[in-house]
Formats: sequence, C-alpha cells, structure tokens
Amino acid sequence: MADVTIRIPMPLRTFAEGADEVVVAGTTVGEALKALGRAHGGIVERVMTPKGQLRNFVNIYLGNENVNSLNGLDTALSDGDVLSIVPAVAGGVGVRAKDRRLVELRAGIPQVTPREAEALRRGGAVLIDVREREEIAEGRPVGAHPLGRSYLELKIEDVAPDLDRTVLVFCNSGMRSLFAAEDLKRLGYTDVRSVSGGFNRWKNEGLPFEVPQILDHDARERYSRHLLMPEVGEAGQFKLLNSKVLLVGAGGLGSPAAFYLAAAGVGTLGIVDHDLVDLSNLQRQILHTNDRVGTPKVASARATLEALNPRVKVNEHEVRLDSNNVERIFRGYDVVVDGSDNFATRYLVNDACVRLGIPNVHGAVFRFEGQVSVFWPAYPKHHGPCYRCVYPEPPPPELGPSCAEAGVLGVLPGVIGVLQAVETIKLILEVGEPLIGTLLYYDALKARFSELKLPRNPSCAYCGDHAEFPGYVDYEAFCAASNA
Amino acid sequence: MAGLRIPKEVLGSLKSIVMAGYPYEVCGLMTGKVTKDAVNVCRVMTARNLNTERAYDRYELAPDDMLSADQEAKRRGLEIVGIWHSHPEHPAQPSETDRTLAWEGWSYVILSVTREGVADVRSWRLNGKRQFVEEGIETWPT
Repeated sequence: MADVTIRIPMPLRTFAEGADEVVVAGTTVGEALKALGRAHGGIVERVMTPKGQLRNFVNIYLGNENVNSLNGLDTALSDGDVLSIVPAVAGGVGVRAKDRRLVELRAGIPQVTPREAEALRRGGAVLIDVREREEIAEGRPVGAHPLGRSYLELKIEDVAPDLDRTVLVFCNSGMRSLFAAEDLKRLGYTDVRSVSGGFNRWKNEGLPFEVPQILDHDARERYSRHLLMPEVGEAGQFKLLNSKVLLVGAGGLGSPAAFYLAAAGVGTLGIVDHDLVDLSNLQRQILHTNDRVGTPKVASARATLEALNPRVKVNEHEVRLDSNNVERIFRGYDVVVDGSDNFATRYLVNDACVRLGIPNVHGAVFRFEGQVSVFWPAYPKHHGPCYRCVYPEPPPPELGPSCAEAGVLGVLPGVIGVLQAVETIKLILEVGEPLIGTLLYYDALKARFSELKLPRNPSCAYCGDHAEFPGYVDYEAFCAASNA
Repeated sequence: MAGLRIPKEVLGSLKSIVMAGYPYEVCGLMTGKVTKDAVNVCRVMTARNLNTERAYDRYELAPDDMLSADQEAKRRGLEIVGIWHSHPEHPAQPSETDRTLAWEGWSYVILSVTREGVADVRSWRLNGKRQFVEEGIETWPT
C-alpha cells in the first residue's frame, strides 16, 4: 500500500469537509479513489460511474500526467504520489450557427453608422438596399438602390460597374447587410461596408428617406414579363403607370394602339372620338363589339380597355376635335397617338402638339399600305420635323382618300396601330430610337418595310427656326382649299 | 458571500486578454483566496480553449492548464477560485450551456465583448438548485 495525496478541487470540497487535499492508501488509482470515497462520501460518485469507470467530465492526473494516457484506473501508485481531480470546465454562448457567422462577419466587414454612410454616398459611394419589397415600401434612404438580396450579385454591376467603388450595404437592422456585404466582397468588390443598425437606425437618426412607389402583388404578376426586361424593369413600369397617352380616334389605328397601351399598363388613356360604333367598323376596330353598334365609340372603347386592365384610367372625350377644344383636351398628356382618318384632323393634331411640345405618334393606312412616324420638334436629343415640314399642304383627294372611300385591309391598321403603340412606349420609357425624322412605310402585299428620312424644314411656319405659333386655322377650309 | 473582489489592475489585464481574443471566445482561471465574506481574486490566467471547432461560441478549458494553475496557486498559497470566459457579441449572462456544465463552489466571470471593447463584466455562482445567481464585483483600490 502506498500513501498518496489527492488534490480536491473547490467544487468537491464540500464532500471533504472543506479540505483541499486528502491522503489515502492504495496501490492503483482506482483503489485510491475508492479509499477516498470510503473516507468522504459523495466525491467518488461524482468522479466515477456506478460501473467503476471515470466520468467524462473529470480528469485524474498523476503528477502532470492524465491517467487516461497511462493505465487509467489501473495505473500503479507509489508512496508520495499526488493525484489531482481536475473538473472539466466548459461552456460558452452556445449561439446558433447564424449568430456565430455574424460574429465572424462583424469582425471582418467594416461597418459605418447611417450618418457616415450618407456622407459617403454624397461623396460618390453607392448605397445598396438589400431589404425585401415589403420593407422598402415603408421607406428607403434617398439615393439608395433597392436591389434586394435574391438577385444582388446579378444586379450589382448595373449600378456599380467599378469594383473599386465604395459600396455601402444596408438592411433593416444591420445583420442581413453583413451577409450581403460578404457576398459582394467575394464577387470582387474591394471596399464593401455594412451600415450599422440599418434603416431602423437611419430613420431614428432623422436622415433623409422617401416612401417609394411600390408595385403590389397583382401588378407584379400582370407586368411580370416587363419586369424581367432590363429596359423596362420596375422603374420603367412605373414610367408607364404614371404616363398619360391621348388617342385621337378609337378606330382602326386607335383600337390596337389603345388595346396594347392598356395591356402595357399606361396609367391614363384619353380617347377622343365623337362617332358611334358602326357595323362596318368591326372589320378592323377591335375595341368594339357587335352588341355595341350604335353606341358611342369612346364608351365602347372604355368598356373593352377596362375589361382588359381595370387599373387603367380611361378618359372619354366624346367630342369632335377642333381649334377651340384641342389645347384643353391635349394639355396634360405625355404623348398623342394620331389615329385620325382625315387631313384636317392631322393638321390640327400636329399644330396643337407643336404648340404644346407633345410628341405626336402618327399613323396612316391605305388599302395594303401603311406608315408610321413620330413628329416631335421638341425632342430633347435632336430636332425632328413636324407633320407640316413633311406635308406643307394636304394632297388632292384622289391621293389621300379615307378608308371609307378607298377601303382598307382590316388587319392593316392593326399592324400600324401596334407600331404606334410600340413607338409610344419607347417614348415613355426613353429607350431605343424613336421614329423621329424617319417614316416607316409598310407594304403588306410585298411584305416589306422601308424607311424614308423626313428632314426638318427650318422655315416651317409652325416648328421652324424662330417660328412663332401662327395660330389655329379653319382646318376643313384649309384642306378643302388645298384640294380645290 | 459578499461577492467577487478583484484588483483593478487584474481586471484591466483580463479585459485586455478578452479584447485581444475577439471574436473568439476565450477562457481561463482565477486564483486567489476565499474568505468568509468574499472571493478574493489575485491572479487571472489564460487557458487554452480545446474547442477549436466552435471557438466563436464555446469553450472547453484545457485540463492541463487547470492542473498547472492549481499547482502554481498552491505554491503561492492560493487556490483556483473561479473561471472566466468571454461572450463575443453577447451579454455577460450565463447561457444554458454555461449553466449545464458549471460546478458549484466557483465564481464564473463572464465578459461581454464587441469590436469596440469589453461592454460588460459580471460574475455568477450556482446556487443549491443549480441556478446561476449574480454576485457583485468589487474592484480595489476603489
């Protein structure tokens, strides 16, 4: 038998009357621990299992060696040996995986206060909002790009093509932005910072924010194919929704144009037409229906357009357009689509559009042929002609008969009216090259499109250099005189 | 027990250790003397955290280091009086993990630490029902 000293850690001293060490006799570690148990009940139960094995939350050391690396409980003892009971000590925050990751991210991603972020943005940094749509609806910092989280990597280069530009990422509280910032760093951005406290803190600190216009679920679904296009997207769809287009005539050209403009989500469509639906219209004027023959065209058009898209506001102008009412009706519209079938109205539409600076999307059809152009002398990118630059005076009647006189292939105004709708949408979205200074001519029999350049007339009385609006004229008389 | 008494200088060095270890969770031991009215901390020492897999939120104090601390304490006439560990980005309150794995009879000092530094220091002891009860921390010289 050897006499050995067993060191008792403080948590077990209550079982040893407070002693920090106890001397026992034994030839092995196991025997010594049992001797300790006999002398001081309660200790051994905490050190060994009922089957006599060491518990895994204590370690027994012989001198400086853990007995597990010797012979365990069978390790032989010599006189004067010191055994130490060393409790396993463990613990910790025990956080969830995302919290652990956040700790890492906070250590690795530079963070700025909202105020610092705003100053950096003003200095040229790009501010990225990675929140969900519903959160953004509550407000967003002025100048922030609402890219969201889902498509962040795919969209970021559209707003920050320079990988060395400072990118500031924010969410609502400053957590998701850390994850997003990490992804952007991985993408190659060299200076990505997360805004601490996110938009909540931004708002609380009184920094500038705006409540943006948001597409609701129905609109997102309805215009989803537009939203997928980078040339339209949400910003473009808002341009359409906020735009006002006036259609002169709800006939062969106005019908397909209005139909597609309503479908596209043009917010307000005005329709000028004083006529009633006639059975002979239905061969091409697709807004109208058989049971509406004899009813006003504007009301019929409205019913069809609202059935297609109830959110479109349709303004009915059931009047004959003339010099006295034209400005009152045109004012406030962004684009005028001329689908009239007579020269008097075309000149009136032209003159009013020139005077008010509104683009005039012109279309005309004759049997198997059609033409479309945009007359807009006030076009900011370059001066185009007006209708009068191209046609200073109306053609003689035999060269310019109406559909009623000459007939028209029913589908032909469909082609031209839809082209007018396309040009209108391009103007609203400010994309592509509008048909300004160009006339697109379509020959259905030859199945051929051709382009004619339409020069501007610097001496034009209505849009020429230094021209002052000469006033409206008696358009019926003007056309009649020219035809005489 | 009135609480934990710790020299300002020792507490200061403990804070430095914890800040240097951020964002990892770091742990160690406190040696000193227990009197009838207080746990008097004289020295703090760092122990290795064996849980390298989850060093952000767990610690498992190396028993070798505890043995060394115990031996050194004995030489100085002291004893191990408690354990300290840090909670990076979390409050200085014991977690359920801390409670489950704690031993009665020791003081458990928890330091809440962020990028900016140590935000809070609190000390806890298990009661007879294995619940943590906070004990006051008194620094000296006051």
